[in-house]
Amino acid sequence: MSIGGSDLDKAITQLRACRPIPENQVRELCYKARELLIEEGNVVGVDAPVTICGDIHGQFHDLMELFRVGGDVPETNYLFMGDFVDRGFYSLESFLLLLCLKVRYPDRITLIRGNHESRQITTVYGFYDECLRKYGSANVWRYCCEVFDYLALGALVTGAATSLSPTDGPLAENINIENFPEADADIEIETLNANGEIMYRCARNSDSQSSVTSQPNSNPASSSPIAPTPSRVGAAGTGATSSANGSTRNDTGAILCVHGGLSPLIDTIDKIRLLDRKQEVPHEGAMCDLLWSDPDEIDGWGLSPRGAGFLFGADIVKCFNHKNDLSLIARAHQLVMEGFKEMFDSTIVTVWSAPNYCYRCGNVAAILELGEDGSNAGYVRRSNGDQGGGGGGWILGSNVGVGGVGIGNGGPTGGGNGNSVGGLNRRLSSVLGESGRTREGPGRRYRVFEAAPQDSRGMPAKKPVADYFL
Amino acid sequence: MMPSLNGALLDTHAPGHNAGTSITRDGFKITTRKLPILKAGPIEDMNKKLGIAPPEMIFGDNLARVEHTATGWRIEFNAFDALDRVDKTGDSMLKVSYSKEWQQNRQKQFEDIKEVIKPFDWSYSTDYKGSTPNHPAFQPTDTPIPLALLKLPDPILFFDDVMLYEDELADNGIAMLSCKIRVMPARLLLLSRFFMRLDDVVFRIRDTRVFVEFATGEVIREYTAREEKYEVVRKVLAGTKEDVLAIMRDPNRLAEYIPVVDKSLENVVLK
Repeated sequence: MSIGGSDLDKAITQLRACRPIPENQVRELCYKARELLIEEGNVVGVDAPVTICGDIHGQFHDLMELFRVGGDVPETNYLFMGDFVDRGFYSLESFLLLLCLKVRYPDRITLIRGNHESRQITTVYGFYDECLRKYGSANVWRYCCEVFDYLALGALVTGAATSLSPTDGPLAENINIENFPEADADIEIETLNANGEIMYRCARNSDSQSSVTSQPNSNPASSSPIAPTPSRVGAAGTGATSSANGSTRNDTGAILCVHGGLSPLIDTIDKIRLLDRKQEVPHEGAMCDLLWSDPDEIDGWGLSPRGAGFLFGADIVKCFNHKNDLSLIARAHQLVMEGFKEMFDSTIVTVWSAPNYCYRCGNVAAILELGEDGSNAGYVRRSNGDQGGGGGGWILGSNVGVGGVGIGNGGPTGGGNGNSVGGLNRRLSSVLGESGRTREGPGRRYRVFEAAPQDSRGMPAKKPVADYFL
Repeated sequence: MMPSLNGALLDTHAPGHNAGTSITRDGFKITTRKLPILKAGPIEDMNKKLGIAPPEMIFGDNLARVEHTATGWRIEFNAFDALDRVDKTGDSMLKVSYSKEWQQNRQKQFEDIKEVIKPFDWSYSTDYKGSTPNHPAFQPTDTPIPLALLKLPDPILFFDDVMLYEDELADNGIAMLSCKIRVMPARLLLLSRFFMRLDDVVFRIRDTRVFVEFATGEVIREYTAREEKYEVVRKVLAGTKEDVLAIMRDPNRLAEYIPVVDKSLENVVLK
């Protein structure tokens, strides 16, 4: 039988109910998927808006929760950064559903490869056994592995907005509104819970406030209202606790999404494009690094104490982003308890989308929403502030307070602000060690969610069963 | 010492968690606590205090404790103290199976990348036998834990299984430390097990069993360390009709294939 049109919709319905589809349909689906994926480059181009997701690991019911929280396909565009399988009990249903959605809505969903999308890893960590158990043979596992070889290695998101269009969601309980930027501030980061309630909000460059007010000739009374300085304690997961509150760039560049991280063999995105990806994940080399490496608080490159694998520091990320006109690297691969973790002045973020990982960690999961450039009505591409006519410069994003949301042309800000713009730019230049243009991070909305309720997964609540162990 | 609560709400929605349950039996109070893994802040604190990066899944708030209320003596199992006994120097550091191949190839390409970041025993192998006060101290004994008594079908009044830490060794195997406890009317048994499989390299199982006979106040502690090369175990298993991969995930079944390399037996009588 073929798996087009209504058959595909039927398969989607069946998989959504967490019921596997017959082996011949899997074969057909995988064939279709391969035809589709072979056309994709190693680095898939993706337009914002898009919702970026991290590891799923066969936690099917939590994937359903993810779609509930983030919006369903095809209404919401998704980019999954790999590790669909292993560990959880429903790798098969999770991966096949994502694959069905990919075949059904190829432009709405992007799948890239994680280190678990490999023959070797899946034989050890569960997916192989699961296929064997559910089909009685390894055929389905083989079909899936062939698809793994065709998955892209990365994605490049372009057209993301620099600031978020505000949500009018209610505030979550126990949230200290004092720390919120003013309603008309340029929102850079927002964290929402699974009910869409706002848990945290951070204005762009809100750190600049202190700098602005410290300018001797600035006059707070006459200049536009200044957004309250956010609490020094930023939201969990954001880099907002650092002195560079939020990101400190201007003009949004692209966002590179990879499962693991960077490689010393790769200094430009074009080098990723040149790799021959249609193979099992090798034990070494650039392709391996992209799927395996981790950021760490070090200078430059380091070797993992495990004897294989690279670690990379903030300078590596900042240089790579600068060279490739990126504003952010989004990656997955590492469990983070808060669901996401921004590092290195928000130049890289880890997104983790498997709540209560392995059904026992009790961690929350997150997805990252990037808005569409221009969806923010007042958005105007900002320059470094050296075009005086705009009165602007990127600093204005956080303290324009006149005439509603997202005034991009600056508005009547005090003369003192101009000085502070220059000062901040100098500071920024020194951070980057050069005077070249730098990129402003995209507006980032994190939706954080917990594991799906136990009763929805048809499994007894996990209570240890007393046994007479010795 | 005991790590502090990580600030997680106690009525957490995650299943199977509890902020502390206990049972008292003949002057012995048995307590377990199961909470989610630590959040970023407490992990950083722990990192600083330990001097090594904690495992990926660190249940720093969890514990299993047996307390003799009359004397105040106690034995407690928690992740921090267990990790404090992990080698922090890198002297006993293992390498993943493909390390040699990987390094040979990479060193040709990147001679300038040499620094191994924060070397330590990333397999988190620990010989932790529980945290106890110095007095009264355990003394070596020849009296083994009376298995016959533990094989009696006595009712189990209290049972728990507490995870202390777990790490996937970057998908090169598994390291986990957990604690099981069962309390019967007249005695209890606690088993703290460290299990580590580094794929294609080595297996380790390190068990600490604590037995308490309530009536006599006698506590027996038995430590058994097992270790064998992966390849040796694999070969033995290949000769059986067993599901090799399944056994390699199950320390209960693996134990019989892995020889004992270290053993100790101690007791203390609480009056």
